[in-house]
Amino acid sequence: MRIIKIELPLKSEEIKMFTIRDKLLISGVLYTARDQAHLRLNQLIKEGKPLPFNLADSALFYCGPAPTPPGKVCGAIGPTTSARMDKYTPLLLENGLKVMIGKGERSKEVTNAIRKHRAIYLICVGGISALLSQTVVSCETFCWKELGAEAIYRMEVKDFPGYVAII
Amino acid sequence: MPSLRIIPEKQVYETIIDAIGKIYCQSTPETITLINNALAIEEDDVAKDMLNAMLKNEELAAKEKLPICQDTGIVVVFADIGNQIKIENGPLYAIVSKAVNDAWRKYYLRDSITFEPIRCFSNHIQNPENSQQSVILHLSELPGNKLELHISLKGGGAENCSLLKMFNPTTSLREIEDFIVDTVVSSGGKPCPPVLVGVGIGGNFERCAILAKRALMVPISPSEKKPEYKKMEERLLTQINQKGKGIQGFGGKTTALKVSILSEPCHIASLPVAINIDCHAHRCISITI
Repeated sequence: MRIIKIELPLKSEEIKMFTIRDKLLISGVLYTARDQAHLRLNQLIKEGKPLPFNLADSALFYCGPAPTPPGKVCGAIGPTTSARMDKYTPLLLENGLKVMIGKGERSKEVTNAIRKHRAIYLICVGGISALLSQTVVSCETFCWKELGAEAIYRMEVKDFPGYVAII
Repeated sequence: MPSLRIIPEKQVYETIIDAIGKIYCQSTPETITLINNALAIEEDDVAKDMLNAMLKNEELAAKEKLPICQDTGIVVVFADIGNQIKIENGPLYAIVSKAVNDAWRKYYLRDSITFEPIRCFSNHIQNPENSQQSVILHLSELPGNKLELHISLKGGGAENCSLLKMFNPTTSLREIEDFIVDTVVSSGGKPCPPVLVGVGIGGNFERCAILAKRALMVPISPSEKKPEYKKMEERLLTQINQKGKGIQGFGGKTTALKVSILSEPCHIASLPVAINIDCHAHRCISITI
């Protein structure tokens, strides 16, 4: 198992250097997005409206954080099941998305789209949320606050561990 | 008729708050032992790395009082109520519900409940200040003057990989076992393996699902279990792990830590089988009042 430190955003040329099962220690900005946020992002693209952030520079983390207890930078964080986002992922990849972090397998269609667009899908371990929260440098609600845990959060991380699952 | 033992509302309320306080930041001791056992036999370097992270997380979460998983789930309670007790005030659902809501604020747990399952039916905007938790409460009556509460925080990812099938009564044991193994194995990394597998066999449509959940949550002494079912549990565990899906579906020797079966009589026309899966963040506790 290779362990490689990386800085976000990632470019396709960098992604080419990785192999399946590499452990990446990721530093940079992640945007969380779950089911409802994916639905909204897809609707905005279809309606030709601007997105709240630039997909090409972003990494999506399929996560709904727990509330931040007093004195902590953020609450418990961890991946939710990526397959639920499969239906909405090819359109995001077509619009520049390069990095996705979640848990579990992806559909054939998403796998093909990831390869076509030279993007990368990483899995991180589910159910190690206290540990993952230690890698968070800052965490704030970015948009769609009304969705609660399903809002988009902007999360700056340092050495966040992910394993290369699809490239 | 013996006099009824009165259990104060406050005692039930505080017991539930304390119980949630214990389990949101730690898996059951048995689960942690099983994760340690899985690590001891693992050879794959990524799987070992992941198992080590799980154990480190258990330590850190307990120390820092942080949730072991950000999905602190939906609360499931089996309340086995002695027929010689009376719970003061009540109803029990109201007491449990208030305790769960207060525990959610006290421990900073995540609101994971939508009160309208079909989201487009409701313009309801979740307000974190006054959001409500939902509790699944299963009541049953037992002889005696005790109240037994089995409490679990059940995450959504593993729950989604659960399945129920109404088999024909002449279905072979092999077919049933294949169904259980395939259900767990085909879930891959989605339910956050290593998982725990609860199986309900018999009853009827809804009862076998409840049995599967109870098999996951409620400890049963080995002496209470028929040897046929004990052997079946061992066979299923071996077969699931032989398929090699492994830790988080990324390979390794352990996909499931444990299989537990509960069975009940059923109609001669039926053979209901339900499978309920829980992740390694197995947050359960049993308390007797």
